Amino acid sequence: MNPSLKLGLVLIISFELAFMQSVIANLIVAGLGLIYLILKRVSPKKILWMLVVSIIPVFGTWFSFYTHGAGDAMHSAWLLSTRIYAYIFLGGILSYTGTVDELLGSLEQNCHLPSKFVYGTLGAFNFAPRVVLTVKQMKTAAMMRGEALHVWSPEIFFKSILISLRWSDNLSQAMVSHGFNETTTRTHYDTFAIPWWNWPVAGICLVGLQFLAFSGLF
Amino acid sequence: MNRQTTSNKTSALSYSLRDVAFIALTGVFCGAIFFGTSLSYNFLAAGLAAIGLGPFANDVLLGLWMIAGPLAAMLTQKIGASTIGELLGSFVEMILGGQWGAATLISGLVQGVGNGLGFAMTGYKRFDKLGLLLSTITGTLITFGWSMINEGYGKYNLGFLLLLLLVRFISIGFFAGVLVYWINKLVEKSGILNRD
Repeated sequence: MNPSLKLGLVLIISFELAFMQSVIANLIVAGLGLIYLILKRVSPKKILWMLVVSIIPVFGTWFSFYTHGAGDAMHSAWLLSTRIYAYIFLGGILSYTGTVDELLGSLEQNCHLPSKFVYGTLGAFNFAPRVVLTVKQMKTAAMMRGEALHVWSPEIFFKSILISLRWSDNLSQAMVSHGFNETTTRTHYDTFAIPWWNWPVAGICLVGLQFLAFSGLF
Repeated sequence: MNRQTTSNKTSALSYSLRDVAFIALTGVFCGAIFFGTSLSYNFLAAGLAAIGLGPFANDVLLGLWMIAGPLAAMLTQKIGASTIGELLGSFVEMILGGQWGAATLISGLVQGVGNGLGFAMTGYKRFDKLGLLLSTITGTLITFGWSMINEGYGKYNLGFLLLLLLVRFISIGFFAGVLVYWINKLVEKSGILNRD
């Protein structure tokens, strides 16, 4: 499925899910998401990880509604804890069945997002592994001077800003010197089309969602 | 003078490639710094969950998720910068493997708009204590409204709800307010933004 359409669909479903009051609908959405992930051959390790990582928040949500809920606390507890699973599998669809490059490329071509946003973001994302490394280096360097940097220390953010400034300068200069232009129209090597069957599939998903939303399931 | 005070209305709306890369990189950094703490989030959540206070883990740390937005707004002083910063930040969190997936994007948007409203109320003129204070207030109220719907906060009893609101305001007030103010002061003192 076209990445932009997939993003739009997942966002609409996630948004509407927030207003739905049905445990069964949550389970159906979560189940369909899981089936899609399995059909797309996402590795079982990733799926297992999604299940494991959600145990604490799901249990925490369930138990806090159980103890502090008003009204039908049991229904709230099950509703909000199953909703977490629906969100996690919907998110998994975006994270694991497509790449950032595809998504951004498709947003540029299909949704006409300005190219400076697409390539500026893309350039920055390619720094992600180095950013993680740099944060570790900053912490280690500070420890060698006998200082511990925490998330509440302004210094760690200040250093990050310094590096972001330098890298964004270098990145934009490098891009411009390689021929990037913000204003002219671009040609594309990888083109993203929206196949005709995407529209009926998206339509069926949305109509199905309305059935779940308004059928009054438990 | 630094470029913040010389920026006028037209430049407040237009983003250059460098601005976009800068906001995105800052978002990636905030995400990376935050992910250093995701382990502690799970410990905190587990501890609180055991005594029926699970959602507090969320509310105590929410401010941390919301640093990127006001930081981008304060540093670039552009209209919509906090929304873009927060949205890019949440996109990074989603890609780096945050546990909330697509919901992250929606909450990122809600948080960004919430923060941005505060700056909008000053007509995008006060990128200082007042702007930040307003942005933490609107940020708290808007995100809390979304939590009422999305995380079902509306179904808690009133005392618990007010406590959650208070904790959230303290968290956002500190991380997205006081901390951002401190960072901005360091940046202004160093003069690193005088680069145009």
